[in-house]
Amino acid sequence: MSDKPPHKDVTTEHLSDHGLLALVARGDREAYARLYDTYAEAAFSLALRIVRDRELAADVVQEAFLAVWTKASTFDPARGQPSTWILTMTHHKAVDVVRREERRKADPIDDASEGTDPGRPVEERAWLGVARGQILTALRRLPDPHREVIELAYFAGYSQAELAERLAVPLGTVKSRTFAAMGALRTALSEVGIGTEDEWNTSTN
Amino acid sequence: MEHVDELIAAHALHALAPAEERQVEQHVAQCGQCRDRLRELEALAATLAYAAPAASPPPELRDRVMAAIGPVVAAPVAQPRRRSAPGWWPRFSLVAVPALAAAVLALGVWNLSLRGQVTDQGHELAHGRVVALAGVGNALVSPSGVVKLYVRAAPAPSGKTYEAWVIDGGTAYPAGTFASSGTVKLTREASRGDTIAVTVEPAGGSSKPTTTPIAAGKV
Repeated sequence: MSDKPPHKDVTTEHLSDHGLLALVARGDREAYARLYDTYAEAAFSLALRIVRDRELAADVVQEAFLAVWTKASTFDPARGQPSTWILTMTHHKAVDVVRREERRKADPIDDASEGTDPGRPVEERAWLGVARGQILTALRRLPDPHREVIELAYFAGYSQAELAERLAVPLGTVKSRTFAAMGALRTALSEVGIGTEDEWNTSTN
Repeated sequence: MEHVDELIAAHALHALAPAEERQVEQHVAQCGQCRDRLRELEALAATLAYAAPAASPPPELRDRVMAAIGPVVAAPVAQPRRRSAPGWWPRFSLVAVPALAAAVLALGVWNLSLRGQVTDQGHELAHGRVVALAGVGNALVSPSGVVKLYVRAAPAPSGKTYEAWVIDGGTAYPAGTFASSGTVKLTREASRGDTIAVTVEPAGGSSKPTTTPIAAGKV
């Protein structure tokens, strides 16, 4: 028998993520499943990159989505895209895990093996591949100290204090460097034709 | 008011010490400018997520995620459901059967954690009960005792059938036969304390179990 629910709920088909999240806030499982289907891969990829363990990554994604369910009614649409919110919670939980587990790795982000899910539609894979390439290009364009703080903080879960220790610079320097790095990242992303997650991920799919 | 620009950038990367994190959160709660700035930087940070090498989540994760929110009872924050909902089953029928099947363990944990709350609110009976039948699927028992099986099992061997039983006070009452995966309404109602069991029987079914149950669960 099919793995799909017996009757497809067509009413969620064309809803935006905001619309889906509003339904989730009212306890709608279909809408919740759609949000999961849309963002599970991005969330899992991010979690896996940070925690480096498929089981831990799955736990992270499960926790993050549980938070989506329980906090949906407190989501303020003015705060931006649900996708940003979901990925922010995923990142937050993954970093918490990696700090707890002491399993962080500091490999450069583009050393990791490539490969997109072959189960995804071709154009979506292509698009994600392009987006990834552009983001990596933007990261490579950053001055080394900027790229370093962003990669270590975002993908390896280093706190500001830990960065100061690892880089052997004062904490104040790390803070101002992080601030400058995020500004530089914004500029570099717009140079390669990518806005922020909020701007380009307004999809309804 | 002193703004917290530098801290906000680090906050968006979840890189602050807990005390500073609280400081930022308290500040943005009352400063619209910094709140907007934080949202913007969070969106920027979230963009980085797409630089992670693509990896497919394990297929069973979807089932776990769906199971973790419970089978029927809405999120604690949700609005009360409309009273005119067409009964009890339709809502269950929207739940993917495989999700339920894989949910068994998670449901146990979820039930334990929710039970106090649910019982206190008197909702448990209103929403029925889920009985795990490991390897077969799940039974859903309505408040009035109607039992529906969500079966996810290999087809019964040739010349055999699956048979469901409601065991009450040591007596097994036949409750219907089925051949493979699907949804089955049992021919006998069950109440609290009964056991629902499934055996493999000769085609046509038996009036008493002739084999050991392949799955059983208490209502």
